[in-house]
Amino acid sequence: MTNTMTISKEKKQAKIVSTLIYVFLILLAIIYIVPLLWVLVTSLKNDSTLMLSPWAMPAKLEWSNYEFAWTKGHLGTAMLNSLIVCGSTLVISMIFGSMAAFAIAKLRWKLSKLTMYYFLIGMMIPIHTILIPLFVQFSGWGMSNTLMGIIIPYITFSLPITIYIMVGFFEGIPNELFEAACIDGCSVYKMFGTVAIPLAKTGFMVTGLMSFVSNWNELLVAMVFISKEAKKTLPVSLTKFVGPYHTNYCQMFAAIMIAIIPTIIAYVAFANQIVEGLTAGAVKG
Amino acid sequence: MDKLMRNKKAIILFIAPALIMFTAVLFIPVCKAIYYSLCNYKINYHPKYIGIKNYVMLLTKDKTMKIAFRNSMFFMIFSIVTQLIFGLILAALLTNIKKGRNFFKNIYYLPCVLSSAALGLLWMFVFMPRLGINQMLATMGFFNGDCTLGPQWLFSTEGYIILPIWVISFVALWQYVGQSMMLYMAQISGISSDIYEASYIDGCSKRQSFFYITLPLIKPMVATAMSLNAIGSLKFFDLIYNMIPEGFLSHKADVIATHLYTQAFKFSKLGYGSAIGVILLVLCLVMTVIINKFVKTESYDM
Repeated sequence: MTNTMTISKEKKQAKIVSTLIYVFLILLAIIYIVPLLWVLVTSLKNDSTLMLSPWAMPAKLEWSNYEFAWTKGHLGTAMLNSLIVCGSTLVISMIFGSMAAFAIAKLRWKLSKLTMYYFLIGMMIPIHTILIPLFVQFSGWGMSNTLMGIIIPYITFSLPITIYIMVGFFEGIPNELFEAACIDGCSVYKMFGTVAIPLAKTGFMVTGLMSFVSNWNELLVAMVFISKEAKKTLPVSLTKFVGPYHTNYCQMFAAIMIAIIPTIIAYVAFANQIVEGLTAGAVKG
Repeated sequence: MDKLMRNKKAIILFIAPALIMFTAVLFIPVCKAIYYSLCNYKINYHPKYIGIKNYVMLLTKDKTMKIAFRNSMFFMIFSIVTQLIFGLILAALLTNIKKGRNFFKNIYYLPCVLSSAALGLLWMFVFMPRLGINQMLATMGFFNGDCTLGPQWLFSTEGYIILPIWVISFVALWQYVGQSMMLYMAQISGISSDIYEASYIDGCSKRQSFFYITLPLIKPMVATAMSLNAIGSLKFFDLIYNMIPEGFLSHKADVIATHLYTQAFKFSKLGYGSAIGVILLVLCLVMTVIINKFVKTESYDM
């Protein structure tokens, strides 16, 4: 009798605790969602009525705010630039990175360990340190204000983490597979293309995701290297468009929305994969 | 097979592109930055060697550097401590609930993938005197209904660590706590449930099992997360640059990265800026070594 009573008491306590946990989690989720919703709602309002009724829903959806930010704020051009920059960085850093990783993980040469450490040191170097020498060098080569001028540093900073993660994946492939390929008369290049790459697909996904997300959001390098409107990337154009000297709040909110909506859509569609992938990358880094 | 894998030509071909690029765009520039930091170097002039004068100036005379260093240190300590605590709490809570784990996890992680430039602007509006929080509090009846009487979240310059720095620290916590949470969750889910079952049979409560099983077993991950946070907060630029409009607080809210940006690219003092960059590099290296030395212990087999 007393036994069952303590059990039901414990159950009751557990229930209270779990309710409290959920209340806390939901409150926290609100702190994450509400600012984004606030920007969304305000971006569709009319600026002249914003201050009069700050909390009302928009009476009429003002899509012109988005149009203004897209064209006059050059966010359309900026998004295209960002896509070009991040896309080419992604492809090139994955090719170069996986090649180097294959050489380190599977090919046999004396300096492979040392080369790996050399790349690993790169992960600890903040981009700020090399900003000035790169800036001087690239202006000397006439590469300031070109997309190439930011693609090159982006690739370089994606390389160490790409190599590190890909080495892990290539090392996980059993040597027997390569031996079998060797007996079948594969050259070392064919082994890389037909055995190593297909078996390290997850690695490509993880590294690709990491490089894309960080480069898509990168502000400092892009801001220093590019001052021409037509070449700016999304974070730069947004930063220049939204500022204390611009007076139309709703248009600025629309600009913020434009900058984050693509990421949010991709995130909602692939949230689990993105979170897992980025975490896997960070764990290894 | 062995001969194939020792093919010199293939090795060179595979490693060369990454190695050349890495050396040319990262390693040589670091050396150059060290050289520039010992020079008096302005844009359009040739660098002139002046020894360690830049460093002496930076570390003894530069008042903004002093503020920037203090703010950066504050950011670092704040983010290491709070991310550790909140990351662990969230990870512990989320691994213990049955429904909606993915949902909450994905929501808390969302800001990590968004541009901090955009989020910085968003939070700037939230903390503006006439919009956002103050306006909300005013409609609720605070400050006699006048939102401009509320706290000047981003413009107050009083105190040792000024209010804007606190505000930005919390925004950074909001943005990046999801990452720490995920790191800890990944590690916790790797702990075999046998260990927990054994502890419950031995009469362990849930709280005890957290402190005596979970915490010791995720210690290696604590080191990883801490060094990620430390380096990330030393490199902090986007949020501050976008939340505090340039020149509004006369550099009272500067951190090392924004100080470098202003000195090098607003005042075109490239040599001086390089010295700041080198100091930042040294700080990053030192922090990584310290954290890995003191926190990382032997990893357990699980």
